[in-house]
Amino acid sequence: MGVARLKKAELYYHKSIHEQIAAALQETGSCQIISSSEENHSRPAGVEALISATDERLSDIRYLTRTLTPHYVDPVPALDRMLGERPEVTMTELEELAAKTDLKAVCDKTRAVERETGDNRQKLSDARNTALILSSLEFFPYPLSAITEGTKTLTGVIGTVKPGNVSGFKAALGDFSKYKDDSELIIAPYDEKTQDIYAALIYSRSIEAEIREVCAKHGFSPVEVPATLTGTAEEEKERFAGMISALEAKEAELDERLNALAEENVPTVQKLSDYYNSLSARYNGTAMSDETDSVMLTRFWLPAKSADDIRAKIEAISTDVELVLSDPAPDEEPPSLLTNGNTVRPFNILTELYSSPKYRGIDPTPLLAPFFWIFFGMCLGDAGYGIVVFGLILFVFKKYKKIAPGVKDFITLFLFCSVSTFIYGVISGSFFGNFIDAFLPPLIPMKNALMLVDPMTNPMQVLGISLLLGVIHLMFGLLVAAYDMLRNGEIIDAIGDKISWFFFIVGLCLYGVGLGGMLPPHFVQIGGAMAIIGAVIIFIYAGKGEPNYAKKVINGFLALYGSTSYLGDILSYSRLLALGFGSAVIGMVINLLGGLAAEIPYVGWLVAITVVIGGHIFSIAINILGSFVHPLRLQYVEFFGKFYSGGGEPFTPLTLSQEYVNVRA
Amino acid sequence: MEHLGLSLALFGAALAAALAGIGSAIGIGVAGGAAAGVMTEDPNKFGSCLILQALPGTQGIYGLLIAFFVLNKLGLLGGAGAVALTWNQGLQILASCLPIAVVGWYSAIWQGKTSAASIQMIGKKPEAMGKAIILPAMVETYAVLALLTSILMLMGVQVG
Repeated sequence: MGVARLKKAELYYHKSIHEQIAAALQETGSCQIISSSEENHSRPAGVEALISATDERLSDIRYLTRTLTPHYVDPVPALDRMLGERPEVTMTELEELAAKTDLKAVCDKTRAVERETGDNRQKLSDARNTALILSSLEFFPYPLSAITEGTKTLTGVIGTVKPGNVSGFKAALGDFSKYKDDSELIIAPYDEKTQDIYAALIYSRSIEAEIREVCAKHGFSPVEVPATLTGTAEEEKERFAGMISALEAKEAELDERLNALAEENVPTVQKLSDYYNSLSARYNGTAMSDETDSVMLTRFWLPAKSADDIRAKIEAISTDVELVLSDPAPDEEPPSLLTNGNTVRPFNILTELYSSPKYRGIDPTPLLAPFFWIFFGMCLGDAGYGIVVFGLILFVFKKYKKIAPGVKDFITLFLFCSVSTFIYGVISGSFFGNFIDAFLPPLIPMKNALMLVDPMTNPMQVLGISLLLGVIHLMFGLLVAAYDMLRNGEIIDAIGDKISWFFFIVGLCLYGVGLGGMLPPHFVQIGGAMAIIGAVIIFIYAGKGEPNYAKKVINGFLALYGSTSYLGDILSYSRLLALGFGSAVIGMVINLLGGLAAEIPYVGWLVAITVVIGGHIFSIAINILGSFVHPLRLQYVEFFGKFYSGGGEPFTPLTLSQEYVNVRA
Repeated sequence: MEHLGLSLALFGAALAAALAGIGSAIGIGVAGGAAAGVMTEDPNKFGSCLILQALPGTQGIYGLLIAFFVLNKLGLLGGAGAVALTWNQGLQILASCLPIAVVGWYSAIWQGKTSAASIQMIGKKPEAMGKAIILPAMVETYAVLALLTSILMLMGVQVG
C-alpha cells in the first residue's frame, strides 16, 4: 500500500549487446531510465544511427496515418477497440512484419494518388469558377473571343455597372456619336433588385483611350473573362459542364483508390506504428546511457519488488553484466509509483488526476477511497440506478476480456460505486426515483421496512448526516496531516496547527449536538472543555515567535478567525444531500411524466414506457457526471486542502507502445 | 383576487425553470464554442469536450426540478386539482424559487466561461482532464447551495 519503494539501478554491459539489454528492460515494463548526469552528454554513436533510422520510419508512418486514416473504415466498432478488441501480436511477429513491409513504396503510391487528387481538385475548382462566370455572361450574343482575343480592329470589355450609373453611362457613350458606328453597348436584362448590372462594350481599337475614360468615370468595373473562353457563352457552358462532370468522376475514382489503399495498408501501418514507437522509446532510453570505449552504463529506477526478476532477465542475456542496486540518496527525488491492492487500486486514478504524491510523501488513495465510495453513493443514491450500472459493467467485463489495465481500473471504480449507490438507494427508499410508489404499490411495505432515512419528508436529517460526514472527513484529514508532521519530527507544529483544530472543532460539534439534546448532557461539558483547550492552543501557537505582546494577541485572534474557513468547508458537504435529492427528484419527475403519458388513450402505455426508460437513462448519465465530479471536489478541495499537495513525478517506465495492438511478450 | 396566491407560486416556478435554463443555455453555448474550436485541431477530444460542455447544464435541471417541486406542491400534476392558496403562501413559494432562479442563471454563465477555459486547457494538455473538470465544478457549488436553499424553503412552506 502507498508509494512503492524504488531502487536505483546502475547497469554496466558491453556495447555489443545494448539492443538486447534495452529490449529486456522494455519488456519488463517496470524500469524508468534516468538521464545521464554528465554535462554535455552526447548520445552514443551506434544508438544515434538507430534513432534516426527509426525516426525516418516513424515520419512515413505519421504521413500514412494522417492521409489514410480518414479513408479507413474500421470493421471493429471504436468502442470495442477501446475495450481491448485489438490484434494480439508478439514483438517477433512485428519485427517480421516490419522486415517484409516496404513502407517507402506505400508512401510513394499514396503520395502519387494524393498529388493527383490535389491537382484534380484545383482543376475542378477552376472549372467551377469559370462556369459561375459564364452563367452571368449569357446575355452576350457573340462568341466570347470578341472580348478575350478581339479582331484586328475591334476589341471589347465586359463588366458591371451599379443601377444608379446605368443611365449616365448610356448617355455618356451616346455623346460619342461620332464613334457610334465604331462601338456597341449591350446591357444584360435587369430589374430593380439587380445589384450589379452586366454590360458588354465592343469598340474600335482606335477609340480605346476615350472608352476607358468613360468607363472609369461612370463606375464600370471590368470583369476578368478567362482567356480560354472563345465560343459563345452557351457553347462554353456546355463544354464546361462536360469538363466538370469528367473531373468529378475522376475525383470519385481517386477517392476510391485512396479507400482501397487505406483498406489494404492501414492495419499494417497501425501495427508498425506501435512497433516503431516501441523501438524509438527503447533507443531513446539507451541514448541516455554513458559509454566508454566498450562499456555502456544505463541508470534506471525500478520497484524494489521487481529487482530479482529484472536481474534474472538481464543475466539471461549475458553473464558479462553488472547490475548495482542502491537505495535512493536523501537528496534524490525518485518518481512515485502507487501500489495498492485490488480494492484500492481503482481509486489510484483519483489521486493521479490531482497530482502524484512525492516519493517520501503519503499516498492519499487508501484514505480517500472509502469516503469517495460513500459520497458517490449518496449523490447518485438510487437502488435502481445502482443495479443498472452494476449490471452494465458486469456485462462489459464478461464480453470484453482484453481491456487495458488502466481502463479496467477506471470501470471497476464505477462498479464499486454502483454498490454504494444501491445501498444508499435502499436506505433512502429510492428505486428509479419513486418508481415503487408510482407503479408498484404492493412493494411499498418492503421498501418502507428497509428505509433508514427519508430525504423527501425529513431532509434535515440527511443534511445532518451529510455535515457529520463532512466533519469526520475533515477531521480525518487533520489527523493525517498531524501524523505526517509527527513522522517528520515537527511535534510542536503538529499539536499547535493540527491537533488543536481537531480538538476545537470536535469539541464545538459535541457541545452543539449535546445542547441540541441528541447526546447525553455531560457531552456538553466534555465538548466545551475540548473546544476551549483547542482554542487556547491555537491562540498561543499563533503568537509563537512574536516578541510583541499586542501582536501576539492579534495573531491569536486572527488564527481563531480561521475557523470560518472550517465552517465553509463543512457546509460544502451539504451538496451530498442536494445531489442525492436531485437524482431522486429527477427520477420522480420522470415517473410522473410516464404516469401522465399512460393516460393517453390506446398508445399511452407505449409512450409511458419510452418516457420512463429514456428518462432514466438520461438521468443516470447526467447524475453520474455530477456524482463523480462533486465527491471528487470534496476530496481535492476540502480533504486534500488539509494535508496533501502532491507534487511528485509519476513513475513512467519504459514500455512497449500499445496504441493499436496488444503486444504479448 | 382569489387566485393571486396560485399565480404568484406559478410565477416562482416559471422563474426557476426559465432563468436557470437561460443561464445553462448561455453557459453551454459559450463552452460549446470553445469545444468546437479545440475539435477543429483534434476531433478525438470530442469525449472530454462534451463532458466539460455538459457541466454548466445542471443549473437548468435544478431549475426544472424546483419548478416541478412547486407544481407538485400545488397539486397541478396529476388530476387532483390545485390546492387553495392565500396570496401570502403564494409569495412564500415565489420567494423560495428565487435562490435557484437567480444563482442558477448567473452561476451557469460563469461556469460556462470556466468550462470554455478548461476546454482550451485540455486542447493543449489532454492529461490535465482531472483539473479541467474540477475548475468548473467549483462554480457549480453555489448553484448546489442555492438548490438546497430553495428545496429547504419550499419544504418549510405550508400549503393546503
